[in-house]
Amino acid sequence: MAQKQKYKWHSWATPWILLFPTLVGLFVFRLIPIVSSFVLSFSDWNLIRDPVFNGFQNYRELFSDPDFWKIFGNTLKITLGYVAGSMVFGLLLALLVNNKIKGMNFFRAAIYMPVITSSVAVGIVWLRILGPKYGIVDFILKKIGVTAPYWLQDTNLALWTVTFVQVWKMAGYYMILFLAGLQSINKDVLEASVVDGATPVQRLFRVTLPMLSPTTFFVFTVAIMDAFKNFELIYAMTKGGPQNATNTLVYSVYVNAFSYFRVGYAETIAWVLMAVVGGLTIVNFYVKKYWAQPLD
Amino acid sequence: MVKKKSSRYVILVLIILASFVSVFPFLWMVSTSFMSEDVIFALPVRIFPNKLFKAGMWDNYKTVISKYSFGLYTWNSFVISFLAALGQIFVCPMASFAFAKMRFRGRRWIYALLLMTLMIPVQVIIIPEYYLMMKLGWINSFLPLIVPSFLSGALGTFMFISVFEAIPSAMFDAAVIDGASAYKILWRVYFPQATASVATLFIIAFMNNWNDLLRPLLYLNKARLYTVTIGLTRFQSEYTSSWALLLTASVLSILPLIIVYIFCQRYIIENQMSAGVKG
Repeated sequence: MAQKQKYKWHSWATPWILLFPTLVGLFVFRLIPIVSSFVLSFSDWNLIRDPVFNGFQNYRELFSDPDFWKIFGNTLKITLGYVAGSMVFGLLLALLVNNKIKGMNFFRAAIYMPVITSSVAVGIVWLRILGPKYGIVDFILKKIGVTAPYWLQDTNLALWTVTFVQVWKMAGYYMILFLAGLQSINKDVLEASVVDGATPVQRLFRVTLPMLSPTTFFVFTVAIMDAFKNFELIYAMTKGGPQNATNTLVYSVYVNAFSYFRVGYAETIAWVLMAVVGGLTIVNFYVKKYWAQPLD
Repeated sequence: MVKKKSSRYVILVLIILASFVSVFPFLWMVSTSFMSEDVIFALPVRIFPNKLFKAGMWDNYKTVISKYSFGLYTWNSFVISFLAALGQIFVCPMASFAFAKMRFRGRRWIYALLLMTLMIPVQVIIIPEYYLMMKLGWINSFLPLIVPSFLSGALGTFMFISVFEAIPSAMFDAAVIDGASAYKILWRVYFPQATASVATLFIIAFMNNWNDLLRPLLYLNKARLYTVTIGLTRFQSEYTSSWALLLTASVLSILPLIIVYIFCQRYIIENQMSAGVKG
């Protein structure tokens, strides 16, 4: 090995000393909790007395509960809506701010601003904006003769309203990721296509988007992971209601564990969530292998 | 590239529209904080405040700070976010330096495990973590919100691995030839070379901790320990109809971050862009 002939500039223990806090954190706050939560998903527990292991009873109860399937469906819907919405708006915004216009940094910073503010504050201000009668949206709709629906009280609409706010908050983030991809595209290819007489639309669909595909895939992966981070907004806007209309897996883990103290049952839901995330990761892996090939 | 003038105007209009949609909720939040309650529940809906530059302009702010102790919540959020961010800027470069510059057994495994933890939703690990904090007697203290930040941060570690790998190896070789220890090379050569990244990681960690809700909600049950995010949700559930006070509290809760953002947005956005290119 070439390593052996090198001058030894550190002892064998040095990397372990440097990694010591990280390893403690990795085991104590990540790996051990992951394994324990799996084990506890087969138990009846309330955090105080010892857990009673009851086999697959939690899973049986969960899978035969219609509320659970509702929550599961909500999670899939919000994920789908969030991933589609944030990718479409992220890309459109990136295409817009990729132009050379004076003061562009200001506009980028403005569009990125919701990303850095807390979901709680964002949720509260959108409650006001979408509020019945005194909210600005309902007021404008009434002016143009449209009766506004109940954005957050209608059980069919509430979930999409929350998804919309989540997309609104995070669009700037995906804009920046797409923008980085757009700016790393080889300019010569774009110029060659102009010389060859490609229209702007052709250039977008035949050159820019295909060359952007590694970025698109990266954004896709990030968006899926972020789609599950909806606890805060739901907590601030709907608390999962009305009638579970906006309840998701992440929110129902919290409610079951810390409001109903059904901790074992909450862990069961957490592991269903884990299975969904794991499944999506595997899908991602194959998509990356067969689809997102760099085109240079 | 040649572009028609008219299409440039269309683009400009769309960009202004997008910026407006992004910023309007915050403007209205600030505007509402200078309104009195009766104006909020009056039609037509008002965009501009009625108390701005008039007597009693700061009434809502005074009430929220003195009567509902948002000053204290802001301080609590600051202490927690500052210390947690401080932990990150020390622990992440240490781990990154080992990954970037050293070869040791199990390196790939530890790297893969760290990468995997990025994908685990917090809800999967939070219950055992809560139990641990309960057994340690750390509930109702800031420790559960600070100590984990001194023990690993996967995102920061990956950020610094690429920063360290980009530093020219000539500097590294010179330091080794001079006989500097590994720790000296890290803290005296590599760390000072990466100040922009250190600042960026600090800001990002600060913001994430400032905005966190789940952990403060679980670990802080006494009003004097509340952070701004819990203060805001508690306030929301008690005074649902008081929009003026609620949005004033919201302004206070996001104001410190907005100020930091105005000065540091370039670094935050550039860091985000480099993450995008790497992907």
